[in-house]
Amino acid sequence: MPVLALDAGNALFKTLADGQDATAKPRAELLLEQLDAQGYAAMAVGQRDLVLGVDFLKKKTKGAKLKLVSANLVDAKGQPLFPASVVTTVGGLKVGILGVSPASAEGTAILPEGVRGLPVGPAVTAEVKRLRQKEQVSLVVVLAAVPYVEAVKLAQGAEGVDFVVQSHDGRGVGMAQRQGVSTLVPPGERGRQVAKLELSVEGDGPFADLSEANRARESQRMVEANIARVRERLKAEKNEDTRRSLQETLASFEARRDALARTAAAQGPETGRTYQLTYLQLGADVASDAAVQKQVERVEPPGSAGH
Amino acid sequence: MGLRAPRLAALALLLLLPLVAGAAPKKLVLLFTGDNGGEVAPCG
Repeated sequence: MPVLALDAGNALFKTLADGQDATAKPRAELLLEQLDAQGYAAMAVGQRDLVLGVDFLKKKTKGAKLKLVSANLVDAKGQPLFPASVVTTVGGLKVGILGVSPASAEGTAILPEGVRGLPVGPAVTAEVKRLRQKEQVSLVVVLAAVPYVEAVKLAQGAEGVDFVVQSHDGRGVGMAQRQGVSTLVPPGERGRQVAKLELSVEGDGPFADLSEANRARESQRMVEANIARVRERLKAEKNEDTRRSLQETLASFEARRDALARTAAAQGPETGRTYQLTYLQLGADVASDAAVQKQVERVEPPGSAGH
Repeated sequence: MGLRAPRLAALALLLLLPLVAGAAPKKLVLLFTGDNGGEVAPCG
């Protein structure tokens, strides 16, 4: 199946004070090299990617296939510092990938001198409009390197956005949440997981969560087993009061089963646009690429403080 | 033992493996990472 790898930002540095740490720069360089080598198409520029400044990022990604994106980071003159988005075709589907960074006006953004974050909402709205109308993309993903609260607001209001992938607070794994017009996806954190979003895209309309349908089918099976048990008891039960109680329970289970069946049918695989989110855990049981492992050990030798 | 180790090298192997062919058109997989925070190696 065709694969598109994206990073939601805040990949390069642990803290904003990492600029003082001599080991932080080679780690950030290795990460940028590897994101490119591993075929990532885009990464949002987060607050913790800007520790060594904009020039560091531009120099290290010059000529790379990996594109750093931000629709709202501007210089002191108000000029964009990065492309707002990239467009790529994967599996016959034209995908617009948009980056967004923290807004200076929110008060919590700590950006290098001469770098400003414009308000998130208007920057995203304008770029999504361009992607939908001029580029004619079929799918829009926002890589939102902004605080969670800001990402929720974005997902609730950004018409034309299919998925918002949030990084900033290190929230880890979670469920994809429908938020108004789009779906908010947690990408995992600290290299421990990869979020895997399997999409089936045919036609228009909102995406349905196949996980929900699968959960509904699983619950339906459990309720059907309970129904069978209640029916068995009813056959054997002679006491009228107990029989009435069992019949009420049976009716309740049957109503629950029917509701679950409707959920499963409404969001089943027949629906044109569906997704399923799972996480790949990158634990000790996942084999390492030997060449990359050597490079890692050069910047962070086994037994060093980083281990 | 604390949290699982971050594995840049493991991620490399995962993404560089040859992709399995045969999927229907307009089906795709999006892989996302985020909040990596400068991690490159196992740290237990």
